[in-house]
Amino acid sequence: MNEFIERNVRLSWHAAKRSYEVVIVGGGGHGLATAYYLATRHGITDVAVLERKYIGAGNTGRNTTVIRANYGIPEAVRFYQRSLDLYASLEEETGRGITHRQKGLLWLAHSETGIRAERARAELNTAFGAGTEYVGPDEIKKICPQLDMAGGGVWPILGASYHPGGATARHDRVVWTYAEGAMQRGVHIHQRTAVTGLIMDGDRVTGVETAAGPISAGAVVSAVGGHVTALASMAGLRLPIRTHPLQAFVTNRYGLGFDPIVSSSNLLFYASQTAKGEMLLGAEIDRQPSYSYRSGHHFLQSCGHRAMTLLPFLRNLRVLRQWTGVCDMSPDYSPVMGKTGVGGFYITTGWGTWGFKAIPVGGEQMAELIATGETPDLIAPFSLDRFARDRTMADRGSAGTH
Amino acid sequence: MPELKLFHGTRIVATPAALDTAVWPQDALALRLAPDEVFVTPAITADIVDDQHAIVAPDAGFAGAWIVPDEALEFLQRSCEWELPLERPAFAQGAVAGLPVKLWLEDDRVLFLVPAPYATDLEERMA
Amino acid sequence: MTNDKSLRLIVDGSLVEFFAGDNALVALLRAGLHPSQGGCLCLAGDCPHCLATVDGVSYVRTCQVAARPGMVIKRHPSDAPPPLPVGDCPGTDIIARHIYCDVVVIGMGESGRAAAAEAQRDGKDVITLDAAAGQEVIGIYPGPLVVARTRDGMADVHPHGEIVVATGAAEIHPVAPGNHLAGIVTARAATRLAVAGIDLGRVVAIGTPPEGIAVEQAAGELVRFDGVDRVEAVVMRNENGSERKIECDTVSIGLGLCPRDALLRMGNGLAVRAVGAAARTSDIPACPRAGTVCHCAGVTVDDLESVRARGFHELELVKRATLAGTGTCQGSVCLPYIRSFLADRGESLQPPFTARPVTRQLTVGEAAASSYHQATPRTALDGEHRRLGAQMERAGGWWRPWSYGDTVGEYWAVRKGVSIGDVSTLGKMLVSGPGALELLERLYPTKVATLKPGRSRYVLLLNERGYVLDDGLICRDDKTRFTLTFTSGGSSFAELWVRDWAESWRLDVRLLNQTMSLGAINVTGPLAHELLARAGVGDPPQYLHHRTATVTGILCRVFRLSFTGEVSYELHHSVADSVTLWRRLLRLGADLGIKPHGVEALLMLRLEKGHIVVGQDTDFDSTPRRINHEWAVKLDKPDFVGRQAILRTDKVPLDRQLAGLEMEGPAPAEGALIWKGSDYVGFVTSSVFSPVLGKAVMLGWLKLLEGELPAELTIVGRPARRVPTPFYDSEGSRARA
Ligand SMILES: Cc1cc2nc3c(=O)[nH]c(=O)nc-3n(C[C@H](O)[C@H](O)[C@H](O)COP(=O)(O)OP(=O)(O)OC[C@H]3O[C@@H](n4cnc5c(N)ncnc54)[C@H](O)[C@@H]3O)c2cc1C
Ligand code: FES
Repeated sequence: MNEFIERNVRLSWHAAKRSYEVVIVGGGGHGLATAYYLATRHGITDVAVLERKYIGAGNTGRNTTVIRANYGIPEAVRFYQRSLDLYASLEEETGRGITHRQKGLLWLAHSETGIRAERARAELNTAFGAGTEYVGPDEIKKICPQLDMAGGGVWPILGASYHPGGATARHDRVVWTYAEGAMQRGVHIHQRTAVTGLIMDGDRVTGVETAAGPISAGAVVSAVGGHVTALASMAGLRLPIRTHPLQAFVTNRYGLGFDPIVSSSNLLFYASQTAKGEMLLGAEIDRQPSYSYRSGHHFLQSCGHRAMTLLPFLRNLRVLRQWTGVCDMSPDYSPVMGKTGVGGFYITTGWGTWGFKAIPVGGEQMAELIATGETPDLIAPFSLDRFARDRTMADRGSAGTH
Repeated sequence: MPELKLFHGTRIVATPAALDTAVWPQDALALRLAPDEVFVTPAITADIVDDQHAIVAPDAGFAGAWIVPDEALEFLQRSCEWELPLERPAFAQGAVAGLPVKLWLEDDRVLFLVPAPYATDLEERMA
Repeated sequence: MTNDKSLRLIVDGSLVEFFAGDNALVALLRAGLHPSQGGCLCLAGDCPHCLATVDGVSYVRTCQVAARPGMVIKRHPSDAPPPLPVGDCPGTDIIARHIYCDVVVIGMGESGRAAAAEAQRDGKDVITLDAAAGQEVIGIYPGPLVVARTRDGMADVHPHGEIVVATGAAEIHPVAPGNHLAGIVTARAATRLAVAGIDLGRVVAIGTPPEGIAVEQAAGELVRFDGVDRVEAVVMRNENGSERKIECDTVSIGLGLCPRDALLRMGNGLAVRAVGAAARTSDIPACPRAGTVCHCAGVTVDDLESVRARGFHELELVKRATLAGTGTCQGSVCLPYIRSFLADRGESLQPPFTARPVTRQLTVGEAAASSYHQATPRTALDGEHRRLGAQMERAGGWWRPWSYGDTVGEYWAVRKGVSIGDVSTLGKMLVSGPGALELLERLYPTKVATLKPGRSRYVLLLNERGYVLDDGLICRDDKTRFTLTFTSGGSSFAELWVRDWAESWRLDVRLLNQTMSLGAINVTGPLAHELLARAGVGDPPQYLHHRTATVTGILCRVFRLSFTGEVSYELHHSVADSVTLWRRLLRLGADLGIKPHGVEALLMLRLEKGHIVVGQDTDFDSTPRRINHEWAVKLDKPDFVGRQAILRTDKVPLDRQLAGLEMEGPAPAEGALIWKGSDYVGFVTSSVFSPVLGKAVMLGWLKLLEGELPAELTIVGRPARRVPTPFYDSEGSRARA
């Protein structure tokens, strides 16, 4: 009856051991993908993923699943393009469905400066392999007939950049696919296991504390999303990360009919239709840093209002649910991943509002780093020490949303 | 809704104590925008506040209109997301219809003030 | 109840009569129709079985809306979601009203009435909200705020005191094969339908029987419902295992109650309390053996078993793996069964999943009630620009004249004659007091103490990381008084920034933001002196000086500076005088060929001078060194915001820098990539074809290659060169003339 029921994935749980070669803290997309690639690419299977709730409980299971590669600096474009490719082949590689849909992403411009920004986005991304073209009103109307080109008289649509590679996938299925793939190869995943402390030997991290007792590890990877600052401080690290809430809402299900992902930098919202038929709406982060997961009424009002301005057909759709996640934002809007300067302790964080799309490449690269001890080229620009080395990676292409 | 007009007056920034003890002319309306800031309309002379470092600047930066209370309250009920004071007269400020509005509430009329660059928007939103 | 022939609504294109007082569902049932989904009806707004499209809005619970003459009901397709509406959906503007009170009581059943009465006795101001009165609460939010959908718009209720949830309990639905058939109703629904005069035919009751109707009680355990579209019989199993089939027209279900506590759970941590049945613990129905558990998502007992057997044990994971509980009713119907199922399979009874808004359905249009777009401020000259036919654009957060139609002509008016521009959008702030000098000295990387009264200086504003936040001027008025200017786009942030620091350093200063009180007109061009002289200012201030003057009879502060590269006077004046001043200047300059210039021309002019626009030419990690503005930073000052960071980063070699670039031919688009051979080295942030130089001039980011900025470059396939800025009048003699 329901084609969305997960019919294949099999999760196999194990009793916890006292020691692992690698302990990954956080069973979100990044933690699980790291485990998966350690096992599949490097044959490292003496690995545990410790998750304080259930797998995917964090932001991975709350995100709006926009996958795209058109970012603002070449280093990021290459990185995300690798992720796009890994996503596109993940179903074939694993034999599991992740409801991957290539939809194309329209980024709308509503002013002279907006047009310049979208042209620039197209230029840079095309050059570095994330095909993006500048399109005018006629093409926009063809790609998304539902758009009110007059922008409700508020923000007329003058042009857009169009990224055909823009895609979505079902977040939970990504989580389970990586979890299953890792488990099948011997990785342990322990749910309801919060890490409460790091065990240090001198200036090296040698394990973690949990309510069920200590677990020692050759390497500890922090993949705890928005909670990274607390964990890193246990290793004496101060991270330049601030946590901000990010919200989203969906409508009830309707017949499919809204093909692309549409985003507006001026009205600060983005919209897509899920495979189930819900219209999924997201916006920018809350300005006020906070760890709160409570949903705001103002968000629903304002995001609905802004979205309706460009997509008037939304007016009579009925809202189903709204929710909140938290985003760990770095000062330059680029991720922070790799070595930390503390022996045996690796981090993957700073995923902000855009880390879902990076799950495959993030996992792949972190796994390579842990397996080889060498920082791969693709993630070298995103290392934590870039802040001290004045090698920040300001990325306007990720500032804002999704 | 009447058309908004510029309100000529004086903006004063001074120590809270100096503003607390200042005596404003009888016919003037003094709106305490902040503990250290007041907008007095019509304009007054500089030597009213006891603070040698006070900023006393002629100001026409607010546009506003007096509205009858029924109309004002009807509009505020749907456009103001914070609670209005109950006593009269009273000064209140905050977002109204998404704009930075200052209100002076009297028994029989309400003054709406908004920075002049938002006057057109407030007019449209009140209409 | 009377049958009035005028009472008709339209169901799937056919006219259907209804009785006064009917809700839309009763009207359907009275006509022998059934919502297309089938399934047990509750008539209480809990289940998803009466959903239909009503007057163009899908997912409306027909049991919750009164039947109205002319109402158009379309039943949802039985095998697919309703279609996505196409085209515009004109709608009336829905209003949200804000209501303040002491106590909110949600639900006006017995316990709700009692709670309201008690609060009123205590002298509390009580607001009651009840779905039966058309007030459906969609959520409880921080504030606290209770949001309800009402018949005349949205109600945002703000209680000072507590929120009482008296929403009662929902009846548990049956799970067994055939539970999708029509003719199954809850016991309470059966009573209500009978009262409404609907012929239920032969009624069989399972569990607690309905009040006031003759029924046949079915004993034993429910096995299945038989029938094609409508239930024709119910099959029960006795204690001895034998099955019994009971023919019937309607089955009444009395399987227990589940509190409607979603609002209580949503308000967790706020002053929310449940009373009456909403406060009870849930009856947990017997573990279902077969049939549909979740109707919204189409999930059967077999589906639950299938995912559980594959390791999905947590309630949340089962929900996500099957989607059970994620439908329109948000688990009202299926959650008790999923919990019961998992408890039966050896997991403990898991708490219900997180309750999230919205608990009742509302449209996006209703959600957006009384929302306003962020307004874009207009200068006092907005009307003048529009009258002059300017193309108005939002730039730097204001409506500004982009061009008056002849950008190059506007440009030449500045370079060759005289022009005026509206720069009222610049941030303007007065700083006064004994602590003023210290504040600015600690805030800005320039030496403020050396600035003499009557003088101005270009400054950068940095954050603690040493990144450029904004730029502008510091103008010293006297010993303890300064005027600051900021960029149009950066001023609201900069104002807060200055205030925050003044406060955290506890300095004795007075700060007044005059951005919106003062207009500013820039008079610029080689003939600017002449125009000012005609306007009554024969001895204007020198370059980077300022003073007060009367210009065309209007009191102004005149700042001599230059962004355009020509002689420029910025006239700051009361917004009340902007229009008069503007018109008088245009009149006085008519025979000098005066023209107003828009933002586009201004951007050309400044680029020829190599002046940056913060936000366009800078990034959010631009240090002064990166933008080649180290001259604006005095590291020999004791301290200023960003100094520590700059001292740190100065020790590491530079990686990229903003540089001046030029090339022959037309200007490439901003954002164009810059190459050194086949290596990418950066991109163009600003570019223009310079009319006066006859070539394209640009600013752009360049990566250092082996410690050097590359000089010979390729942009859009054409050769380009790195050159020093300014491109035009590098000695600055024109601006100082
Ligand atoms: C509303 C919203 C919309 C978004 N939309 C998009 C989008 O469209 N596209 C996109 O690419 N990205 C999007 N994102 C961002 C994306 O969701 C995140 O960047 C991404 O999920 C990060 O994955 P993660 O594995 O690092 O973190 P998470 O998924 O948050 O996983 C971290 C896990 O760590 C666990 N944990 C925390 N502390 C501990 C501890 N002490 N011990 C054990 N476990 C712990 C948490 O329970 C959690 O499960 C969005 C985010 C939100 C909130
Ligand atoms: S029956 Fe509605 S969500 Fe399960």
